[in-house]
Amino acid sequence: MQSAGPTPQQPSIDGVAIPERTAVTAPEAGALPEALGPLAPADQMRAVAEAAGLRQMGVRPPLREYVRTLWMRRAFINTLGSAKAYARNQGSYLGQLWSILNPLLNSIVYVVIFGLVMKTTRGVENPIAYIVTGVFMYRFFDASVSAGAKSISGNLNLVRSVHFPRASLPISTTITELTTLGPALIVMCAISWLSGLLPTAGAVPITWRLLLLPVAVGLLFVFNLGCAFLVARWVAITPDLSNVIPFALRFVFYASGVIFSVSHVVQNDALAFLLQFQPVAVYLNLARSTVLDEPSIPLDPVMWGLGVGWALLAVVIGFLVFWRGEERYGRD
Amino acid sequence: MSIPEEIDFEVDAEDLTYAQGSRELGAPSLVVDDLYVTYRVFGGKKVGTASGVKPSRLKRFLSRGRTHVGGLTYVEAVKGISFIARHGESIGIVGINGSGKSTLLRAIAGLIPPTKGSVFVAGDPSLLGVNAVLMGSLTGERNVMIGGLALGLSPDEVREKFDDIVDFSGIGDAVYLPMNTYSSGMGARLRFAISAAAVPDVLMIDEALATGDAAFRKRSKDRIDAIRDQAGTVFLVSHSLATIESICTRTLWIHEGRLVMDGPSAEVCAAYKAFVKALDTR
Repeated sequence: MQSAGPTPQQPSIDGVAIPERTAVTAPEAGALPEALGPLAPADQMRAVAEAAGLRQMGVRPPLREYVRTLWMRRAFINTLGSAKAYARNQGSYLGQLWSILNPLLNSIVYVVIFGLVMKTTRGVENPIAYIVTGVFMYRFFDASVSAGAKSISGNLNLVRSVHFPRASLPISTTITELTTLGPALIVMCAISWLSGLLPTAGAVPITWRLLLLPVAVGLLFVFNLGCAFLVARWVAITPDLSNVIPFALRFVFYASGVIFSVSHVVQNDALAFLLQFQPVAVYLNLARSTVLDEPSIPLDPVMWGLGVGWALLAVVIGFLVFWRGEERYGRD
Repeated sequence: MSIPEEIDFEVDAEDLTYAQGSRELGAPSLVVDDLYVTYRVFGGKKVGTASGVKPSRLKRFLSRGRTHVGGLTYVEAVKGISFIARHGESIGIVGINGSGKSTLLRAIAGLIPPTKGSVFVAGDPSLLGVNAVLMGSLTGERNVMIGGLALGLSPDEVREKFDDIVDFSGIGDAVYLPMNTYSSGMGARLRFAISAAAVPDVLMIDEALATGDAAFRKRSKDRIDAIRDQAGTVFLVSHSLATIESICTRTLWIHEGRLVMDGPSAEVCAAYKAFVKALDTR
């Protein structure tokens, strides 16, 4: 098209000729011109691109490069994650106060039903603290997986308008859930301690073990992140799976002993063993061993080891699976 | 394309200084080779069964359920486009609605992965759009931060450019209000201002110039000229031929996902105008 330009010879870069279209011929008035085919063979196009030092778009970057760009975007991931948590409580008179009120109301339901109405012990000394700790930690897992599943499909507009490593999205939704959990943890500890004052329930003293709670939450966060990566890819490729995830999560809910002690209910030894060491049950156990003072839930190094193991396994597999689909997100 | 498209007549007369083609062209900044983009559409009906033969009653009965269960259609939005753009060029993209302009732009920005073919770009291309996602329940201030970080700026850089962005958008103190209280024009201007904050090697603009008043359009045009002067390449998708002719030296005409014409803006726009006119009277 530069036929009118001052240089009659064909332009080139580093000895590679830059292919050009021959001068346009104006079509007959109102007619649709015939489609223009390829400009030059693929090899020549690639050679021109390489000579000009261009980068190929829409291909999966190497793993190391991917992790590096992800690390460079950490401010973006953090800001997006915390902004979403903040936006959740916008648009009401009490605003951010709801981040405390919400978990408070939530735990009051359990206190009333399990502490005052149904006076079952479920094989533990303080059922209220047991259930409140279980529910809050489980909700963190549940919410992270649900939000992770929608992190690509729900942000398709963002994916199609700005360029960034897509793994930022599942990470930021998990951060959103972690930010939401923060105030809830304080409520959780306060309610647990208060429930210990009830005459019927076992005491929940404040001990040094509480310092380990952030570690347990941190491990669960890493595990959640791995799960979020996995489901994000699955749902992005096969949207139908988003309908199945709630049922799978409910299954995990009952299999993890959130509101009752699994070993107290399940008679089959092999099954009880399996349910006890599956990841979510492990994290609930870890959190409870730091908050509660139950003789049946001591601080157990085996459990902490398992907690670290599950977290690393989930995050490494999840991240690799997610990265392998990188070039597909946004098109479907 | 949620914004009004037909603003052809709103371009001020003094804006119509035709782009001059005398600018020195640099090395290639974008190589697009035989690009195909296919969308997966769920629950759609297969289009284009133009065989002329009506399928049998039984076949129609059997295929009826396909729309409701397992209905999957592949839509080819871009079908084999090749071209090379060079530093210092500003390229307009024209075509009727649904011809694949926006998809092409997103594919060359690396936002939609190609199904076939390849795209090579210099640096980090940036797509300016009025539909970039910001969060309505948060203030404009917070959104400037999120948008800036999304474009790859550092938090300090965003803070540094904050005043510039607000001035450019011209929304004033409204930047401290939640974005869902903005008028559509204000929102679009803020988005444009955010995405124009970073100066990329390749800038792509999707209909963004249609937003805002005359003063804002003048500012956007100046910004685009500045980017072009820094030896970048500018792509512009617009339904306003006047805008394209005043900004772009070269124009691509896309029709049904194929490149049908590629040449100086004046010639391509004239041919396209004649084509649309013929469509109208048909």
